[in-house]
Amino acid sequence: MININNLTKKYGEHVALNQLSLQIKEGEIYCLLGANGAGKTTTINLLLGFTTPTSGNASINQINVQENPRATKHFLAYIPENLMLYPSLTALENLDYFSGIAGKKLSTKELKGFLEEAGLQAEAFDKRITTFSKGMRQKVGVAIALAKDAKVLLLDEPTSGLDPKASNEFGLLLHKLKAKGIATLMATHDLFRAKEVATHIGIMKDGKLRQQFVSDDISLAELEKVYLDTMDYKEILS
Amino acid sequence: MITKTFLKETKELLRDGRVRISLIIVFFLLSVAVWISAQQYQNVNAQYSTAKTAEREVWDNQGEKNPHSAAHYGTYAFKPKYPLSLVDQGVDKYTGAFIFLEAHKRNEAQFSAAADQTGLARFGDLTPDFMLLFIIPLLIVLLGYNGFTKEREMGTLTLLKSQGISQWKWIWGKWMALFFPILLITAILFLVAGILLSNLQDFGVFKWESLFSLFVVYVVYYIIFINLVLLISIKTKKSGISLVVSLCVWIIACLAAPKAASNFAENKYPYPTRQEFTANVLKDKKSGLDGHNPWNKEAKLLEEKILKEYGVDSLSQLPFNYDAYRMQKGEEHQAKIYLKHYNHLKNQYKQQSDVYRNLALLSPYLPTRFLSMAIAQTDYATHWDFANAAEDYRIATQEFLNGNFAKNSEYGNWSYQADAETWKQLPDFDYTPPQLGVILEQNTSNLMVMGLWFLGSFGFLFFIPKNL
Repeated sequence: MININNLTKKYGEHVALNQLSLQIKEGEIYCLLGANGAGKTTTINLLLGFTTPTSGNASINQINVQENPRATKHFLAYIPENLMLYPSLTALENLDYFSGIAGKKLSTKELKGFLEEAGLQAEAFDKRITTFSKGMRQKVGVAIALAKDAKVLLLDEPTSGLDPKASNEFGLLLHKLKAKGIATLMATHDLFRAKEVATHIGIMKDGKLRQQFVSDDISLAELEKVYLDTMDYKEILS
Repeated sequence: MITKTFLKETKELLRDGRVRISLIIVFFLLSVAVWISAQQYQNVNAQYSTAKTAEREVWDNQGEKNPHSAAHYGTYAFKPKYPLSLVDQGVDKYTGAFIFLEAHKRNEAQFSAAADQTGLARFGDLTPDFMLLFIIPLLIVLLGYNGFTKEREMGTLTLLKSQGISQWKWIWGKWMALFFPILLITAILFLVAGILLSNLQDFGVFKWESLFSLFVVYVVYYIIFINLVLLISIKTKKSGISLVVSLCVWIIACLAAPKAASNFAENKYPYPTRQEFTANVLKDKKSGLDGHNPWNKEAKLLEEKILKEYGVDSLSQLPFNYDAYRMQKGEEHQAKIYLKHYNHLKNQYKQQSDVYRNLALLSPYLPTRFLSMAIAQTDYATHWDFANAAEDYRIATQEFLNGNFAKNSEYGNWSYQADAETWKQLPDFDYTPPQLGVILEQNTSNLMVMGLWFLGSFGFLFFIPKNL
């Protein structure tokens, strides 16, 4: 679903992403771990076509992102760290609009179904977004992805700022999406959530992918040690 | 996508308290403006009708009188109030309500509404054209300045882009959401004006096509403003900056440019002062035939010429009253002098208008203002046309009176008195203003400038590459 080959992005002399290559197949959740400035968000922006690579290429569902960015967007959904929706519209109206501009014609019943599937409580469907917590907004974001029938989900720090309960709910939601065959790329700092939801984990530093694991092959403690080691956090390790 | 965006934007607008309040205020002010104008319109027209009938009665019932006395007694040409002045009062307030028509002299229109007002009139009137030309564009600024910047500021732009939104469809959706309430307000105003006017009786000929043309002019004006405001919103990063830039455009387009154009045009092609104008006319009059003075050089030359033409030795042998003939010739000479000097004024006005039209490229307000006043028949061109028609009527009246005098009396018989029924034979002053087709033809350059603004602003909005 997602295929990245030697993707490099430079801003002047600064290398934001250095020859990144990875593949994410249907039903896989790939968590990119790394400190701020490691290149996680740059990777996502390149996949979204928001920025162009200096070299290398990326494809979604076998469509080259750089050559045909609009076509790739038919297959992907994106939930940023702080998902912002229209505050004066209700959850249902936001979902209706965002799925509508993606070309989906859905009935109110179907839209409600997606909100329900995303875990939003029914009494919140007709409430304005302005009253929503971040967790609730993330659920609307997932509903947008579901309504769009996205094959690829790009998540940028989705659990940042969520309380443990909301974070846990979000994790469960990702498992559901995985079961639907959606390929997910998630950039996060959250080792615990990454270990819990990911099928694959990569650790990035200075724009380079330093380590890659199959999630089942590594324990949380080992992951934490490798992460700190990769990040050169010697004081913490000692 | 266009419909979805339109509906979404409309919902957001309706749920925004500031927008609701703005719309209510504009609607209230428009209603008040239309109501005040309708009252004024009816009052002025009633006065016009009464005065016209009363003055004609006075003219018709002069009794037996010397025609030249009647010529000096004079009559009046009343300027009708045109139906569309309900929407745009134009320069009516400053041009005067009637022209006194008398022998030997072309008079200016008198009794302008502005002259009857106090110094408070400097604050301006709440009229529909003020609302249409100034307040609705301001409303467009207030409704549209954050059309695109809010998407950046709220963070929704990223999500929209990730949904694969088509940029031009998105812009169209937002454009329609801004256009629709403006169209609705304007349509209601014009519909109310149309219903009011079509139900008024004996107050001029109201034509729906003229009202519709006026409506189209204003809609195009608003479309240009919508395009400019949305373009600014696309090009700026923050709503605050967008608001300031949009307000600057409004100030320049609606307030500064018209005044600057007016000052520039007046400096480049100044009108003579009233004193200069009167002195110049008097000087030319003195150099020609004076109908009242049989001893001046031109009068003597005319006398020689007419005696030779009729082959007679004395003026009393002529088959008509030579005194009346001379006075008619004097009238014709003076009419030519007035025509020359008024043509100079008209030429200056035309030059000023051309300057305005050229400067109309700086602001869509200028061609809109010109077209609006022209279609409403409240512009200077219509006033000139009326004044010219009144002068033609004055000349024809003098010809009728001098003709009666010459035909029915003998040379030297100043005691001649025309029959009391004579005055009724003078046709009424019946002025028909230029019709819509002629008005539009006369305003081709304004239509073209508006067309340029219309196409140019659309071009900038949709076809200039943007970094959204």
